[in-house]
Amino acid sequence: MDPWDVIVIGSGAAGLVAAWHARAAGANVLVVNKSLVGRSGATITSGGGVSVSGRTAIELGFDANPDDTDEIFFADTIRSGSFLSDQRLVAAMVAGVGDELRRLITDGAKVSATKHAPGHSSGRGVRIPGPSMQRVVTTAALHAGVRFREDFQSTDLLTRDGAVIGVAGLDRRTGVVEALHGRAIVIATGGATSNWSLRTAPEELSGDGHAMALAAGADLIEMEMLQFLPCCLVAPDMWRGLQFPWILGPQSGVRAWLLNRYGERFMARWDPERMELATRDVVAAASAAEVFEGRGSPNGGVYLSWAHLPRDIVDNFPTWSRSFGADWRWEGFDMTPLVERIRAGHAIEVAPAAHFSLGGIRVDVDGSTGVPNLYACGEATGGVHGGNRLSGNAGAQVLVQGKAAGRSAAALALGGSQEPVNLVAHEQWRAVQARIKAPFERQDGIAPFDMKRRLGQLVDGALGAVRDGAGLAKALDEVRTISHDDISRLACRNRDAGWNRDWSDALECMSALPVIESALLSALARPESLGAHRRHDQKEQTATTTLEHGLISRQAGSHALLHRVEPVEFPFLAPA
Amino acid sequence: MKANLASMTMVIHLHRTPGDDTPSTYNLPSPEEAGIGASDWSGVSVSSALQYLQRAVDPALAFSLSCRRGLCNVCAMRIDGVVTTACTTPMRDGILIEPARSKLLLRDTVIELSLVRRARMDAVTPLAGERDA
Repeated sequence: MDPWDVIVIGSGAAGLVAAWHARAAGANVLVVNKSLVGRSGATITSGGGVSVSGRTAIELGFDANPDDTDEIFFADTIRSGSFLSDQRLVAAMVAGVGDELRRLITDGAKVSATKHAPGHSSGRGVRIPGPSMQRVVTTAALHAGVRFREDFQSTDLLTRDGAVIGVAGLDRRTGVVEALHGRAIVIATGGATSNWSLRTAPEELSGDGHAMALAAGADLIEMEMLQFLPCCLVAPDMWRGLQFPWILGPQSGVRAWLLNRYGERFMARWDPERMELATRDVVAAASAAEVFEGRGSPNGGVYLSWAHLPRDIVDNFPTWSRSFGADWRWEGFDMTPLVERIRAGHAIEVAPAAHFSLGGIRVDVDGSTGVPNLYACGEATGGVHGGNRLSGNAGAQVLVQGKAAGRSAAALALGGSQEPVNLVAHEQWRAVQARIKAPFERQDGIAPFDMKRRLGQLVDGALGAVRDGAGLAKALDEVRTISHDDISRLACRNRDAGWNRDWSDALECMSALPVIESALLSALARPESLGAHRRHDQKEQTATTTLEHGLISRQAGSHALLHRVEPVEFPFLAPA
Repeated sequence: MKANLASMTMVIHLHRTPGDDTPSTYNLPSPEEAGIGASDWSGVSVSSALQYLQRAVDPALAFSLSCRRGLCNVCAMRIDGVVTTACTTPMRDGILIEPARSKLLLRDTVIELSLVRRARMDAVTPLAGERDA
């Protein structure tokens, strides 16, 4: 089967939708995943919203608002993203999501209509719970004849004359370093959210796809834009990053109070009208600013308190909310001990947690990165959401972009299937092998988890929900020092090649470093607050400033990362 | 009983070579000494304890972990005789860790949980010099 027509890296919804469409077009498709297909990745953890205009929802048989058009859905998305979105990508998402939803429903997805979500101007969108979405796309790809490679950690794209011809990585089961050749490659590796230590996202999203695309010559766009969810638990360790307090409080309209270390209801300072019921980006930024200004709780958060409310409010919550079972089971956890603390009048320490990468690999509406043979889709890409993301728009994004990238990759591969196969040149293969094997073969040096922990602390500190120039500059210095001095000292302590966690950790650090550096460079280069990027040292963007995209690329022939700007275009809707 | 919350032991059945089934007892210090953000071990999941052991005590220890919320099931193992997700199970003193199913064993706590096994490619044709000698 080698070379494959299409290799898709990543098996969340974006990757498997891409794989299905490429296969449906007649391509031989291999999906590569660094863990297990149908289990790992962020899709399974998603709330499952899929935005679709009311009119399209009615066409699909749902009870929705007939006055809600694609145009209104488009405008809501552009405004919520502070006009920073690539409007062509948004237009494609709005127009294309209905067809992909129809296919999911035909394939057996359990879809329900949703209530009015914040930021959307009307009741819009449907809901497919994350595990159900993951199951449906996995089964569909399997039945279509897609093939899979699991526990394969992709680290490097193979190239010939500037075109991508395959991917190399580590088989975690066997410890063998291998090259997989393909006529077209689709990156669907998800966000880079695992680089934050306080996060809602799973373990493995270190930005491998971003790093590979950057190295192959692609641009990253708006890498400073990261969506945070407010009021997530900071402690104890087992519950770190859970959104439970947000759901038992502001998200459900329950008037819990956010307090700083002095007991002040600090939202009065940041949004005196809406207070705790302000939008999630405002609550996240306000909470982070309180900590930044020295009014935080011992674990680096703020307090959420239900103590002013009668106990009945919390006790009766499960009878009217579908979020929890009567026994306070939520996702896989028994949350009874936390609820008991709340009922006893204790405040709960909460903080904004990294949730979704708004920036990422730059693509066009066909999923092309501009690098020959290289496509990308889903959360690994940037530009759709601009400065902020409406709920349900990630679901729409992965479906529409997955389809576009899968079809484009298949068309390219099948169009060139008569041409001889490009195999990696011996010299490049030697270099790639050496790079991947280096941490395993090194006897003494830095333990990979030490670097991982250091990076997590650095990113939490510098790239949180509130940033400032001095902190960003200091972190950039540190990241560059680590890249220059410490990467070449990573060493595995375990000599078994298979199931070697040190080795996987080391490779994740190697991917994460240029991705973190890109985010720091982009954050420094946007000196004013815009969307999810909140600068504590410079407040709001002035209306007269030209709106610009921030782009990162790798300087040809070196490892240096370059930042440049491009004016944002408004082909459909201009700021008033 | 309070003392048990400060430090505790964990028994893990290790499987490194075919047929190997060695119960190994690990002593864990307090979460604070282990660098884990929890006041006692009841606020730490079995997954985080395994992560600590791999980092600080036994670098060869194998375990899987992804969503940390009991949704993806890659961390399923037999804990005190019951198959459950390690990421949602709080630690307790003397806890016993075994693979969820010995027939599906790959290494230590990791078992074969693939959903796409019949469509899986376990290796490709190697390039010259690709594989280790």
